[in-house]
Amino acid sequence: MSNIVHDTLPCGIEYGVMHLPGRHIVSFQIRMLSGVCLEPDDKLGLARLLSHTIDMGTEAHTGREIADAFDAIGASHGGGTGRETTTFSCTTLPDHFERSLELHAEFLRTPTFPTDVVDVHIDLQKQELVALEDDASSLADKLMGEKAYGSVLGRHALGNEASLAQITRTDIHDHWKSNFCAGRMLVTVAGPIEPKRVADLLQQSFEGFGSQERSGREPFKGDFAPGMYHQDKDLEQEQIGICWPGVDATHEAFATQQILLGVLSGGMSGRLFTEVREKQGLVYWVSAWQETPRNTGMLFMGASTMPDRCDQTYRTLLREVERIAEDLEQDELDRAVTGLAAHLDTRGDSTRARCGELANDIFFFGRPISHEEKIGKLEAVTIDSIRTYLNDYPRDRLCVVTLGPRALADEAVRTRRMD
Amino acid sequence: MNSPYTQHTLPNGLRVVIETMPDVRSAAAGFLVRTGARDETRDLAGVSHFLEHMMFKGTPNRTWRDITIDFDRMGSTYNAFTSEDCTVYYGWVRQSDIEKQIALLADMMRSEIPEEEFGKERKVILEEIAMAKDSLEHLAFDFIQDKLFAGHPLAWPILGYEDTVADMSRDALWQYFQRRYAPDNMILIVAGNVDPNHIIDVADKLCGGWAASGTDSQRQPPTMKTGTDVFTLDRFNQQIIALSFPSVSSRDELCETAGVAASILGGDNSRFFWNIVQEGIAPRVGAHCMDYTDFGVMILYGSCQPEGIPALYDAIKEQADKITRDGVKPEEVERVKNKRRTGLAVEAETPYHRLTQLMDDMEQYGEPRTVDQRLAEVDAVTVDSIANYFEAYPINIGGHLASVGPSQWPNTEGEPGGNGVSTA
Repeated sequence: MSNIVHDTLPCGIEYGVMHLPGRHIVSFQIRMLSGVCLEPDDKLGLARLLSHTIDMGTEAHTGREIADAFDAIGASHGGGTGRETTTFSCTTLPDHFERSLELHAEFLRTPTFPTDVVDVHIDLQKQELVALEDDASSLADKLMGEKAYGSVLGRHALGNEASLAQITRTDIHDHWKSNFCAGRMLVTVAGPIEPKRVADLLQQSFEGFGSQERSGREPFKGDFAPGMYHQDKDLEQEQIGICWPGVDATHEAFATQQILLGVLSGGMSGRLFTEVREKQGLVYWVSAWQETPRNTGMLFMGASTMPDRCDQTYRTLLREVERIAEDLEQDELDRAVTGLAAHLDTRGDSTRARCGELANDIFFFGRPISHEEKIGKLEAVTIDSIRTYLNDYPRDRLCVVTLGPRALADEAVRTRRMD
Repeated sequence: MNSPYTQHTLPNGLRVVIETMPDVRSAAAGFLVRTGARDETRDLAGVSHFLEHMMFKGTPNRTWRDITIDFDRMGSTYNAFTSEDCTVYYGWVRQSDIEKQIALLADMMRSEIPEEEFGKERKVILEEIAMAKDSLEHLAFDFIQDKLFAGHPLAWPILGYEDTVADMSRDALWQYFQRRYAPDNMILIVAGNVDPNHIIDVADKLCGGWAASGTDSQRQPPTMKTGTDVFTLDRFNQQIIALSFPSVSSRDELCETAGVAASILGGDNSRFFWNIVQEGIAPRVGAHCMDYTDFGVMILYGSCQPEGIPALYDAIKEQADKITRDGVKPEEVERVKNKRRTGLAVEAETPYHRLTQLMDDMEQYGEPRTVDQRLAEVDAVTVDSIANYFEAYPINIGGHLASVGPSQWPNTEGEPGGNGVSTA
């Protein structure tokens, strides 16, 4: 950990630098702690519009000039809108790090949001909403998110047609003015760059950028809605999603939850792949995963299958989770630990992955965390701790979403009490 | 600079290609089998992909369960995929596990194709085909291939057809496997912080006893069709259009030029981006070169709601005409080159990404290419070479138009060049 510096600058930016001498690229990530959760209720879709238009014109340059300036140094950059953050990522050759950061500072600090550009992007976002209807798995994710997290944390970044119709250029500008500032910035950098140089550049580039007061760290409350939900859609397959509350990333049982998911879906020897696909041939795709907004943890299982097999698939998914408490074996647990540890090791060769990992550590835990500490927690998980976890966090309140030609049969649903 | 590559061919014809990466902690290995959808007959469409699934199903030494457990005991990031040209199996592990990883992959390459697993896997593949039918992009791509290369094996979908998969016998699969999965039709590729001599010893020990088959691909380049084909699919909301034009093969000296031209036209910060997306005509539009060893296609594509398609079509045509007639500017070429340089530096970091690129190099060029070689190819692209490319392969005349979605646009009934309307 001696190669990592984590601190807060006078301008308000919290930053982390992983010094990796010998690497040939630099990656950095700017997380503005402002995502869809901060949108006004009647302006859903605003955060994504902001992230898509912020680099489309500044006080000094047009959007095209900004794009050309990035290309002039060959920097690969992009942005994304999440529930709690808006992220700008960049990978560049070390010689161009300073210029890349300068360009980010320019569009983050002095965007002009040209009206004609904003109008086009509102229309494009409406078209993306229509396109979403043609993407079965993404549509199922959207439906699932709404039920899993409720009306704030469960918002979809695209918003909806009615809310997009309400949004103006002024809304985007005002939202930027209110929520984009140095005090909400978390910046991580990985590569052959001296931490002192990064600190100096950040301070110089963002001094005076809005409020320097540390903010945006408060978690948003989820509103889990257990129940059975079905949306009819003319599809070849039925999309099945199941979720239930777990623990957040900082909880002491989080490592146990990670291992549980590894046992379920960590590789092809995981229980879901083995039982649902390999033994019964019910699906091509099946998976289990978790999402951890701050202070919230949610576990998911998903599969897609032909409609006449969805009841059996659903029952098998649920049975496999429950069966873990009964017959988990040490070898399964060991494989799950090895899978997660090896993932950390192999991705460690990627500068971009190291940068993202550092950003996650600081975002969730407020500090960098060594691989040794992470792996130590995973290795401390036992069969008993998994049984305790399954007992402490029962699957007695499930949210089940199906999308496709038919709802689950009553008989399948009765296998579980839903709420 | 010393080459980072070591190449060796075992007496049975198996090529071994190793890239030594002294600064990394992980390693990746994979077998590239030179067989894919274009080696199939129509009645066995999907056999390469079916075989890819069955290779995980058991060997004389391991059951399917043993195979998955052994992968996961290493914490490997592993998978397989089938393309038109090849089938690939790979794993990415910690450096200390690379020998075990190679051993497992090598064992899989001698599969027993167990009869008892065959029926179950058929159901899984039929689910995969059903999943693909819920994707407009997937349906559109298969339709384009079907029409562009009608009558040629490249027209078959990689997954196969429902009827060919449903009717496929284990014996047919076994025969195909025996012919195609011979060492003289395969390449073992390894990248990472490894000792190349040791890897060659390992390969010899594991694979040296495999019998060569003398198999050879009887591949012929297709004749690309022209005209217009429409596929109406009422259950989707968006329409996809694609204009396809003949292009160069991956082994042509203008291949890199074609790639740069496609980026200028349809990549990030491209002509399509500023003149189509940012004009609000369509949210998704791009240009892409499909390179094969013996021919190539440049595809210009986009999607939007059906009512916007005529405007999207006109806009794509306008840009295609402009770049063919007027060429490109030096700064446009330079921008793409700069991005490629950064991309190459990113790719050089991890054994997994190097393995992926080496697979591509071996399939397309028959040799690994160093970063310096690839940079030199990028640097050789100029305004003039792009002009030469478009002179030889214009994208403002001829070509093929495919339209897929709820609209029957364009209505080609009775018009010359209108090949027909398909429905689903």
